[in-house]
Amino acid sequence: MSGVPVSAYLALALILFCIGLYGALTKKNTIIVLISIELMLNAVNINLITFSKLGMAPAITGQIFAIFVIAVAAAEVAVGIAILLSLYRNRKTVNIDDMNQLKN
Amino acid sequence: MENAWLIPLFPLLSFLALLLFGKRLKEASAYVGILLTLASLVFSVIVLVGRLTGATYKLEADWLQIGDLQLTVGFEVNQLNALMLVIVSLVSFLVHTYSKGYMHGDQRFPVFYAYLGLFTFAMLGLVLSPNLLQTYIFWELVGVGSFLLIGFYFNKESAKAAAKKAFIMTRIGDVGLFIGMILLFWQTGSFEYDEIFASVHAGEVSGTMITLTAILIFIGAVGKSGQFPLHTWLPDAMEGPTPVSALIHAATMVAAGVYLVATMFPLFAASETAMSTVAIVGAVTAIFAATIGLTQTDIKRVLAYSTVSQLGYMMLALGAAGYAAGVFHLMTHAFFKALLFLAAGSVIHAVHTQDIEKMGGLWKKLSFTAPLFLIGTLAISGVPLFSGFFSKDEILIAAWANGNYILFWLAVIAAFFTAFYMFRLFFMVFSGKARSEMKNVHESPVSMTGPMIVLGILAVVSGYVNTPWFGTFLGDWLVEGNEALGHGHIEGPAWIMIVATVVSLAGIYLAYLMYSKRSISRDWFTSRAPTLYSIVVNKYFIDEIYQTTIVYATKAISLFLRFIEMFLVNGLVQLVTGIVRGLGKTGAKLQNGQIQTYGTVAFLGLAVLLLIFALTGGYLNG
Amino acid sequence: MTVSGEFIAFLALALVAIIGGVLLLNLKKVVHMVVALVFTFLSIAGIYVLLSAEFLAVVQILVYSGAISIIMLFGIMLTKHNDEDEGDSKGGGWRKAFLFLGVLAFGAVFYIGIYNLDFGSAPAALHENNPEQIGIELYSKYVIPFELMSVLLLVAFVGAIVLSRNDEKEEADKE
Repeated sequence: MSGVPVSAYLALALILFCIGLYGALTKKNTIIVLISIELMLNAVNINLITFSKLGMAPAITGQIFAIFVIAVAAAEVAVGIAILLSLYRNRKTVNIDDMNQLKN
Repeated sequence: MENAWLIPLFPLLSFLALLLFGKRLKEASAYVGILLTLASLVFSVIVLVGRLTGATYKLEADWLQIGDLQLTVGFEVNQLNALMLVIVSLVSFLVHTYSKGYMHGDQRFPVFYAYLGLFTFAMLGLVLSPNLLQTYIFWELVGVGSFLLIGFYFNKESAKAAAKKAFIMTRIGDVGLFIGMILLFWQTGSFEYDEIFASVHAGEVSGTMITLTAILIFIGAVGKSGQFPLHTWLPDAMEGPTPVSALIHAATMVAAGVYLVATMFPLFAASETAMSTVAIVGAVTAIFAATIGLTQTDIKRVLAYSTVSQLGYMMLALGAAGYAAGVFHLMTHAFFKALLFLAAGSVIHAVHTQDIEKMGGLWKKLSFTAPLFLIGTLAISGVPLFSGFFSKDEILIAAWANGNYILFWLAVIAAFFTAFYMFRLFFMVFSGKARSEMKNVHESPVSMTGPMIVLGILAVVSGYVNTPWFGTFLGDWLVEGNEALGHGHIEGPAWIMIVATVVSLAGIYLAYLMYSKRSISRDWFTSRAPTLYSIVVNKYFIDEIYQTTIVYATKAISLFLRFIEMFLVNGLVQLVTGIVRGLGKTGAKLQNGQIQTYGTVAFLGLAVLLLIFALTGGYLNG
Repeated sequence: MTVSGEFIAFLALALVAIIGGVLLLNLKKVVHMVVALVFTFLSIAGIYVLLSAEFLAVVQILVYSGAISIIMLFGIMLTKHNDEDEGDSKGGGWRKAFLFLGVLAFGAVFYIGIYNLDFGSAPAALHENNPEQIGIELYSKYVIPFELMSVLLLVAFVGAIVLSRNDEKEEADKE
């Protein structure tokens, strides 16, 4: 019998998610922003796996879902880094404040 | 008659065509203008002939629908309109022809013709309008045309000032017209002449309101027709080219005021006070301008003051219930005054000066112009057998029959002055010896003398359409089928005609003695009453009075308002703009293109929503 | 609540994960931040083990602690940095404060939501032959998403190459 309650896992996920969110919205370095987003995805994964074991209807499906999330995250990071590199080539910066092309 | 609406379109076409292609056509643009106004003239004559036998024709189409209110546009051909159409298009056609010679070599020749086209369009549109609103639109367009033509030589400071003055002074009158128009609309619910007259006739409008609106509309006419006290722009308007003076400031536009009063005659007739106001203003203007005319030395200014004076006559006639007399004089005046102006233009063209002190002895050198000028002078002086005699006689009879004996005698004195100053002008220009050296004095080309001959003939014969001897055909026709307009001809005592003849001949004789035979010294009057003379020669200081009172008062008020504007209004405005600008700046700052800011704002919104949800209907309350 | 070994393990792992996250926010050097996050990823893998997801734990270590972190480090190395993630941009103070409050409120609301949550259902036997179970599910029920995922990865792969390729010609055009 598990001694750790569901809410403990969920709280951990929540804290990590909040950290990731805060980092994603405040950090100036684009790489750190990307990493923060990975952290948020991880928090989501914790939730999925927690529910897969301790949820209302425990099943392996949650883990399958987490696998998909991880795969998508990997793809996202690859593309994200590629975009970052090509941006860096053009603008010589990774500072997110300088990436304001949307303004014009 | 159904196609009367085409008449104003020809000059409009001329205006547009010359505006577009004038630069390429150069002096050939004269033919465009002449041909198109000729087309107008032909149509106008057809319409007039049709109207002589037919009935009033009116066609209207909806323009705007605002609630229950319907505004219409259209045209109407009644007696007055048909007559005015012919007068306007005829004079316009002649002036177009005349200008070909007069304006020859001017750099802005096509522009001049374009403006003439615009003006003619507006004037013809004005006389065709069946309702007040349309009249007002064309009324203003006429003002624009006049402004452009007075300021045609815009390199000349005085011409610029004169154009501005004309525009502003007539605008004072227009405001009156506008208020009157709106009041009438408020009272009767329509701009249509017919409906306005019908409801006035039915007594739906109170007497005070009739008087008020009539006088307000009359103010508009005063501004346009150069009546006292808004007359000062008309003499200044002589800065424009002479054909323009003939067309606008003698025959047509200034007659628009008289035309307006004539059109609105049933309204005026309904108010005793309005009628006497019109009559008094007319008589005062007639004598007042005539006295100024005695002293002027600029040939065009003399004619300008005589125009003011003659317009006063027309107003007097209308005010004295002599509808037919007023319109009759309007017609004859259009012919002989246009003739005088064109002849004066021909003189100016020949000697290149407008100062009559420098002229003299031109009778032999200008063998065409001089007799024509004499015809015009005789006509305006009211010498028997010329047109002016008959129309002036009608006015005097109307004034007498109406019982305004003071106004009658004022008009008689004004007639005396008119004869005197017109012949003073004639003798100073054409008789005696030249008072300055004049080289190359030559007769004007055919394009200039031709129109003058036509007008000369008309100045003689146009009087015979309405005489006490051969029948008052015009007067009877004008009032036919409309009792509100009064009688076509008023029987008056026969001695009035004799008095008028004697007075005009006396004026001529006095002028002859003073300026041709010189048996009476020219200074006879001047030396005896120098103060009076200086007042008159300075045009009663009207301009100076306006300068010191109205202009300064306006300046003071505007200065005061400027301060209010600067501190009060501007402060408020700046407050408002400041707030808006602050908001805008904040908004713009948010739109800084930075994804993190957008994300933050979006997330904060979510957080706030969640908080609200949690605090009100969410988990807490179950 | 009895203090079991599992509980202690959870506490330790959670502590490491959170410390890693906080360090991510507070460290100055970019490389240090990434390294701090590697600890977080590792401890999350531990949490997966506690939740009977051994296969995922391994995947987590491989993908996150391994691949993604390395990619990030490469990214950092390939770009020039002032080495330090110098604090706030101009006028960012207010934004940060607001955001902090917002995140706090967000966390609080959800914490209230999950506080004392217990479904009370019996845990499934997920730990027995975990990879086998996943494999059966993946190749029976979820075979289409699985194949789609392969396409996605291919697209990402090609896209990443196209984007980061150093095209001399284009470069010349731009400059």
